[in-house]
Order: sequence, then C-alpha cells, then structure tokens
Amino acid sequence: MTAIENAAPRLPFDRGNALEIAPLYAELRGRAPVTRVLTPAGDPAWLVTSYEHVREVFRDNRFGRSHPAPEQASRISYAALLAGPSGNHDTEEREHKRMRRVLAPAFSAPRMRALGDHIKTLTDGCLDAMQAAHDAHPGEPVDLTELLAFPLPVLVICELLGVPFADRAHFRQLSERIALLDGRDDSERAMHEFMAYMSGLAEAKRHDPQPDVISDLVAVQADDPTFTNEDLARLAAGLLFAGHETTSTRIALGTLFLLSDLRRRDRFVADPDGQVDRTVEELLRLSATSNTGGLLRYAHQDVEIGGVRIGRGDAVLVATDAANRDTSVFSDPDEFDPDRSPNVHVAFGHGAHVCIGANLARTELRTVFPALFRRFPAMRLAVGIGDIAVRRNRLAGGVESVPVLL
Amino acid sequence: MRVTIDTEKCVSSGQCALTAPEVFSQRESDGVGVVLDEEPAPEHHDLVRQSEMYCPAAAIQLQDT
Repeated sequence: MTAIENAAPRLPFDRGNALEIAPLYAELRGRAPVTRVLTPAGDPAWLVTSYEHVREVFRDNRFGRSHPAPEQASRISYAALLAGPSGNHDTEEREHKRMRRVLAPAFSAPRMRALGDHIKTLTDGCLDAMQAAHDAHPGEPVDLTELLAFPLPVLVICELLGVPFADRAHFRQLSERIALLDGRDDSERAMHEFMAYMSGLAEAKRHDPQPDVISDLVAVQADDPTFTNEDLARLAAGLLFAGHETTSTRIALGTLFLLSDLRRRDRFVADPDGQVDRTVEELLRLSATSNTGGLLRYAHQDVEIGGVRIGRGDAVLVATDAANRDTSVFSDPDEFDPDRSPNVHVAFGHGAHVCIGANLARTELRTVFPALFRRFPAMRLAVGIGDIAVRRNRLAGGVESVPVLL
Repeated sequence: MRVTIDTEKCVSSGQCALTAPEVFSQRESDGVGVVLDEEPAPEHHDLVRQSEMYCPAAAIQLQDT
C-alpha cells in the first residue's frame, strides 16, 4: 500500500450531486467499520460508517459531547457550532438527561399532533406565496427553498420557542454565519450576537412568561442557579438553529428526490396520504446533509469497537448518512424505495441523544409533502439535478435553491 | 400481547406515541412514554410492533399473552 492510500482522508468528501453521498463512505466501510479520517479542520478523528457500530456508539455512554481535557480535543471545523467539545465532563450525562426531560414535553407526540392543523395552515400560506410568485412571472421558475423549505420550519419553530418571526432576517444570517465550516472569528462573533439575542428574549419572558420553550427554560433557572444565562442562551440558539435548518434541508432534498425522477412524483401524487409516512421515512434515510462526517462524540475512556482501540479523548464522527446506506441492513441502499419496510434508519440518531425534535420534523414533513403535491401535481425541476449547488462549506449541508416550474 | 415501557431506559423521544397513539402517550411533566392500553386489541399489534422496533432506546417490551 502506498503512502497516499495509507493517509487518512480529509472531510468533507466529494460527492456527485445533492442526492448522493460521497462514495468514499462505502469504500471506507468496506475496509473497516471504524477508520481514521481528518476533520475539516485537519485534526485526527475516527469515522464510524457501519450501521451496527453507529448504533453501538450512540448507545454507549462511554462516548459523550464533552472532553476530559477540552483544550487538547480534536477540532472538527472552524464553525461556532458542533466544532469541538461542549459541556462538563463530570456532569454531562446527568445534565443531559435533566435538560431532555425539561424540553421533551414541548416536542411530545400529543403536542405535535395538536399542532398538525396549524402546520397545515402555515403550509397553505407558503403554497399561496409560491402560486403568487408563479402568477407574477408565469413560466418562470419559483424558488421552493425561499418560499417553502425555509419559511415553514422557521414559522413553526418560532412559535414553539417563542421567537418573533419578524426577526427572521436577523437570526437567518446569524444561523448561516455560525455554521460556516471556515467561519472562524466571524462565526464566533455571530454566536455571541445570537446568544445576546436569545438572552434578550429570555429576559422579556422572565417578566412575562409565555407558553413556549424559552419560558420553560427560564423556569428551570428559577430552580437551578447552575443553569446560567449563558447556558440558556446557547441552548436556545442551538434549538432555533436546529429547529429550522435541519427540516428546511429535508424539505428541499425531499422535493428533489421526488422530482428528479417524475415517476416518483406521479406515484406519490396518485395517493399522497396513503404513501406519505413511508415516503417521509425513505426521504429521511436518504437525505444526506452532513459535511463534517457525522455527529460528534469524544471517548470518555479507552474503548474497543469494530476492531479498533479508540483512546480516551479521541474524537469520533458518527456517520449516520453512511449508516443509512449500509448494504448489510438496507437492500439497494442508494435506491429510493417508498415501500421500504422496515426502514429503521438513524437520521435522527439513536439512544439517549436521539433528536428531540424528531416528532416535530416528522409532523412537518408528513404535512408538507401531501399539501405541496396536491397543490402542484405537475411541478417539475427547472434545472437538472447536477445543476443544484450543494452547500459544501456549511455544517448542515443542504442546497442553495430548488428552482421549480409549477 | 402485553406491552410495557422501561421508564429508566426511555429517552422521551415520543416515537411510540406518534406511531401508535391508541396504545402509547407521553407524560406531560417530562415526556417519558406511558402505556395507555397494556393489552391492546389485535388491530393495534402491527403499530405496536413497529413502535418497539423503532424505539431509539429499546425501552418497549412486548410479551405474548
């Protein structure tokens, strides 16, 4: 083996288009389930690419988000989010469990179901805007990202958290800056601005609590002085970022999957309600978003996994995008199959840190696709899939725009 | 079929309560899963099995009765 073949490959890996994942993931998995890579920042890390070991790492509480010696930790990127360790090594597990139980009720299935009709109304408003854009310039493409994929999840998460939708231009540019992989000082400045913005909202709710998540967090502070204003601001900023960025990307990529082969669209249009649940799960499985390899963990002890010894403090990137296309679990893993069942993907993670917004995301996605394709059953892409620009310099990936003809 | 949830293992994901709302819900205080119907009627069994398989914390136990 030459030195080049031996060298750890550096993230992000090249991929063909927005709907594919980098072929290098499968190649690495073919060599071993856990392999050495370099992060986008150039530091060493372990990349976990097999479904079995991805689930194993997620379940194993010897891996966490904190680091025993944070100053020595591998850096993932120069974004201000998910770029390095977070939390206190000694108390992480307890803190995480507590915070999860505080936040979970606001995202519970009964609450999300109750929100369903409202999400439908908000969706219809976005679809009206798409129709209006079309009517203003008939025959011209409409940008689905700008008129649906971005505003809908923002409207919903703003209401849940208690953030004014009118401020969206402000927090949109902050969200973009904190997630730039090479953002460096500007990302840090944006994070401080973002936290200051959230602190201001929290301060207002301290005097006038509302039925929203930021007010829930303020209430936690009353009982627990160790949950500082900074902790609260960082968590709230993270929730606002995660609450719209991830779902926006899934709406955009999901539409691309359905439109890149018009037989998929026509099949879905024939029976949206009957197919939506499985279609959404398949879109979640296939929509690959990570530019950093996967979700970040640090080993809290020496751990033997997948035939390698991961040392205490080593960074581990859990590649859910790769696990979701592992041939040992999913037959024809790169094929879009709206009948796939079972489809136990790990798009929301797995174990104690599984995405707290999964019910919200599923409710939004199950609402948006039937509504979209019922309104515009003949919708098609205005450009080829290869012409859709993938955002390679962003933490959560995604695409710049989805131009469609209605 | 008898259905139980290990509340210590439960991570409050609510996956079960979204999948099979006739059988599962979540506590209002902390989101932990609760079983509404410990011996669900046969028409719910498929969704209950699906909930068990998809549970991110493997916190749902099913026993044949």
